Amino acid sequence: MRLAACDTAALGLGLTPGTALADARARVPDLAVFDHDPKADIELLGWLADGCERYTPACVLDPPQGLLLDITGCTHLFGEDEVELVKDLKARLRRNGFTCRLALGAAPDSARAKAKYAKAFISDLPVEALDGNYKVHQALRRAGLKSIGDLAVRPRTPLAARFGKTAVVKLARLLEEEDPRITPRRSLPAIHITQNFAEPISRTNDVLATIEALARVAAMQLRERGQGGRRFEVSLFRSDGHVARLCVDTGGPTRDASLLMRLIRERIDALADPLDPGFGYDLIRLAVPLAETLKNVQVGLEEKVDTYAEAAALIDRLSVRLGPDRVRHFHAGNSHIPERAAYEYAAQAGASPGEWPKSESGGPALRPFRLFETPQRVEVIASVPDGPPRQFRWRRQLHYVVSHEGPERISAEWWRRKAGYDPSQSGPTRDYYRVEDSEGRRFWLFRLGLYEELESPCWYLHGLFA
Amino acid sequence: MNDEVILSDISSPLLARGNWREYQPDKQDLLPIGAPAVDERLQGGIVRNGLHEFFGAERGDAIAAAAFALLLALRLPELESRIFWISGDKERQTSGRLYPPGLAEMGADPAKMLLLQAADLRDALRAAADTIRSKAAGAVILEVQGNAKLIDLTSTRRLALAAAETGVLALLVRGDAVPMPSAASTRWQVCSAPSSPLPGNTPGLATFDIDLLRHRGGIAPFAARVTWDHATRTFHDAPLSGGLPTAATRGETNPDTRIQA
Repeated sequence: MRLAACDTAALGLGLTPGTALADARARVPDLAVFDHDPKADIELLGWLADGCERYTPACVLDPPQGLLLDITGCTHLFGEDEVELVKDLKARLRRNGFTCRLALGAAPDSARAKAKYAKAFISDLPVEALDGNYKVHQALRRAGLKSIGDLAVRPRTPLAARFGKTAVVKLARLLEEEDPRITPRRSLPAIHITQNFAEPISRTNDVLATIEALARVAAMQLRERGQGGRRFEVSLFRSDGHVARLCVDTGGPTRDASLLMRLIRERIDALADPLDPGFGYDLIRLAVPLAETLKNVQVGLEEKVDTYAEAAALIDRLSVRLGPDRVRHFHAGNSHIPERAAYEYAAQAGASPGEWPKSESGGPALRPFRLFETPQRVEVIASVPDGPPRQFRWRRQLHYVVSHEGPERISAEWWRRKAGYDPSQSGPTRDYYRVEDSEGRRFWLFRLGLYEELESPCWYLHGLFA
Repeated sequence: MNDEVILSDISSPLLARGNWREYQPDKQDLLPIGAPAVDERLQGGIVRNGLHEFFGAERGDAIAAAAFALLLALRLPELESRIFWISGDKERQTSGRLYPPGLAEMGADPAKMLLLQAADLRDALRAAADTIRSKAAGAVILEVQGNAKLIDLTSTRRLALAAAETGVLALLVRGDAVPMPSAASTRWQVCSAPSSPLPGNTPGLATFDIDLLRHRGGIAPFAARVTWDHATRTFHDAPLSGGLPTAATRGETNPDTRIQA
């Protein structure tokens, strides 16, 4: 077993990562040792990255111990230049008990190398910053090239010939000649608006008022772009580094700030564990990660209630409160098997497509009003084995069949089965009967399997008629 | 053509309609059921912008109560009106899910229906109140299985007031429950009734025995038997005694005569 990481005190005693545990114990008998948990390390890094999103939405993990922030165009929120931002970040990390090394660079690779090797200038970086293999570094050192500054003044072609193209690309990135954009861990929102506070706020009303102000700015920006948001995300940054996020989806693009506020209030009400402001929020951000084209609509001269818009707003509100899966539309399924003939999907996903077959005039309904998700087993007595039911027992109650219609024979979807072309493998046929009992209740029963298909077919109750 | 003429052209349809801004529907807008005998007893029908309760007579009649409520909602004249069906996990478990092909055969348009499945009754009641208040729906049906303490005078009054305000038809279906004091305009007990069999002794059109238990307007309780005709989306009176169907003897060539049977 070896040491994976050491704290500053251990480093002061001369222990380094990689030392064998037995050696370390021999040197420092009262050494406190903990199991290495890489997953928890990554989680902690992710938590830090969440907190760092207060500075920029473009933030990426650099495992095992690094974070890369792209602060291009984000510094004005914290002062005149990036120095204020660095100071703020350093103070926050220190307050949470982290030691850190911060470095700024015009490209991610140079900033990362500066922080890693604790150098202020690129030319001072050791050749190890190239991230090549050990042989490359050794060869460069033997040639007397010890720093990136030494490499920078040399022609690149021999370098490429000797160490491959990757070394040259890496050098160009370290020298900030090339700027590969980082891929943020969360995709960049179309619009994001941030509000900073000098003193943390903790009252819910203040938070909501701030979100509303941000929503109005977002609405203005969306209007300028001719867009509406489909998803809105509020990030509440607590002063101790914790981040709470509220996400709201809408059924159609919208830029109505008051509607958005209603949805956010619903979202806060529906939270399983309520918002804990702790010592207060010192930064609130509203982001629109998903935006779609939204044209201006001419409002009617008469005050007619637009039921379509009302319904869309209601669906959004209920979806936020109950969960999108609990507000549903019917969708027709392309199948003759009864349970596959209709599905339910979240209403927010869009209007239900397709036409439903209109009822034929005259005759009674041939399909039930309600259908059981799983057909319910019933005991049936039939006059002849293949005949209609005479009486049946369902939920411990006996029903005498007075009249019936059927059978309506529905065969299985043999093409879904592996060897369905073989009649014995195509699945049991169902014989459906519409029956009415002596009390006037109407049921939909079926016998699973014909007598020539199965030894002893079973009866099921599948639906109830009005 | 000068500007004045154009202006008058634009405003004329509005002027012709008079006080279009002040127009409000009659407070006591009645929804006729369609069956002449029942409508006569009800003095025109049930209050459209009110709350109505439907109880199943027995345990197995929750389905009849739910179906009758839906069919009443289908009586609404606006073809465009949406129906919001609010139920809980428990109701789906005991009586199955709504089946769109069957709904279409009953005369409903499943594309115009919306399902809300709340986790518990508190959520369901709140969703119902919001839905009634929003004017998005023509009718709102709240289905509750079993006796529930939450459905009391206060909560039903909340629904009734919301319905009176927006003109939405609010229907409360109570399967397997004992009637308790509520703010509903009418309270009905519904159970399935034997249908008039069709030729070949096959089950006929949906038939219900309905009992008016209570009417806020003071109409005396009465019982009736009605059948639903999905083609015209209306109820018909059915003979209380299940006599021999006339259609069987008259022949089934004309569907209208079959319905009248």
